[in-house]
Amino acid sequence: MIEVQKLSKSFGSNQVLREVDLTVEEGRTLVVLGRSGCGKSVVLKHLIGLLKPDSGRVLVDGEDVTDLHERKLTAVRRKIGMLFQSAALFDSMSVEGNLAFPLREQGVRDPKEIDARIAEALDMVELAGEQAKMPADLSGGMRKRVGLARTIVGRPRCILYDEPTTGLDPITSDSINHMIRRLQRRLGVTSIVVTHDMKTAFHCADRVALLHEGRVHFDGTVDGLRASGDPIIADFIEGRSGESD
Amino acid sequence: MISAIGRSTLLATSYLGQLGILTAETVTAMFAAPIRWKLVFRQMIEIGARSQIVVAVTGAFTGAVFAAQIYFQFQRFGMASAVGSVASLALFRELGPTLTGLMVAGRVGAAIAAEIGTMKVTEQIDALRSLGVHPIDYLVVPRTIAMLVSMPLLVAEACALGIVASYIVAVPMLGVAEAPFMKKLIFYTHVSDIAIALIKGFVFAMIIVAVSCHEGLKTSNGAAGVGRAPTAAVVISSLAILGMNLILTFGLNAIFPSGQ
Repeated sequence: MIEVQKLSKSFGSNQVLREVDLTVEEGRTLVVLGRSGCGKSVVLKHLIGLLKPDSGRVLVDGEDVTDLHERKLTAVRRKIGMLFQSAALFDSMSVEGNLAFPLREQGVRDPKEIDARIAEALDMVELAGEQAKMPADLSGGMRKRVGLARTIVGRPRCILYDEPTTGLDPITSDSINHMIRRLQRRLGVTSIVVTHDMKTAFHCADRVALLHEGRVHFDGTVDGLRASGDPIIADFIEGRSGESD
Repeated sequence: MISAIGRSTLLATSYLGQLGILTAETVTAMFAAPIRWKLVFRQMIEIGARSQIVVAVTGAFTGAVFAAQIYFQFQRFGMASAVGSVASLALFRELGPTLTGLMVAGRVGAAIAAEIGTMKVTEQIDALRSLGVHPIDYLVVPRTIAMLVSMPLLVAEACALGIVASYIVAVPMLGVAEAPFMKKLIFYTHVSDIAIALIKGFVFAMIIVAVSCHEGLKTSNGAAGVGRAPTAAVVISSLAILGMNLILTFGLNAIFPSGQ
């Protein structure tokens, strides 16, 4: 469904991505691993045109979206939902307003249908009945869930998760990991999860790609990652910095 | 020294170019995308209705003080009855639009830059884009329409209250005869003077909204960036209003010569 070909991106003199190639098949989950600042989120933002590459292409359902004008990206963006690292809820709107927003933008006008779809999405993220709350009243984990509900309420075919468990306690992180897997099974969506959390990777991934110094250092199955003798991969999995006290 | 001047010129040119691009995108969006009237009305309340007190007080006190100063000078030459006409011309041609522009830049420009800037650093603008909503359509167009409609009305209000205040100071308080005050006020104030006030208000509205939205949209570096955006919006808008006022004064005087 999504293909990234030779994607390169620099910010000033800092080259973040160097000819990155990735492919995500329909209905599967790809987890992109890498250290903080290695360009994982940058890859994700290219997939829906939030960033333009210096070179390379992004194909969504075979359509090159790299050079599409912002207004022409709307159709692509409605196929792909994104959960932002900070959840990026509209803080002037209630939970209900946040979830109604994408529906109204898609042209859904029937209040009963809007209410039903909001209730269904909140139910999927285990936040039934929380429509009236404002984002400022939610905990970090709840904000992520509401962000996820806003992503799925528009029924996208693909969901991009930007660091879905960062900043959450282990229990809430585990709950989010289960939710990602459950949504993938229930909705049959294609998922791309960007994370440095190995538990998320092992729990959610059908395939794993490890970014290192702007390149794809490993692309394969979870078992392949575990079995790899590569020292960079081993250090990442074990969380070893190589420094001593 | 020369390289510093060159660098500043390049920066100013680049900034003007960015404002030009934003303005062009905004005008295009007004015709290319559906206008969100609900947001426009909400912004009209925020920009227009909620700015009335500050604009009314500014207009009234400026008119009052100006009338008193003119009286103190003119009465020495027996021209106290000209207070109304001089105050009216000054208010319509200069003080009304300029002071309203500066007050609105401070009150509304800062709020626009802070709100959009906060949305930028908390990824809410990226979230809008990811949901297929163009930030120009959602954030800039409603504020621009609301500002372009509200500012000329606010300028008219400031001028009107300034003239009323100048009457109160001149006639009941300082004892200027009412009949010549009113006669000269009406005789020397032309439709062209009112047109100048409204045109200036319209242009200043464009400056405030373009600069403030631009400063908001280019905000980065978290809370520090959000802190800088409103300051930059107010300072740049205010300086641009003062500079543009000089250009407009000469340009509009050529189109609407004084006294005609």
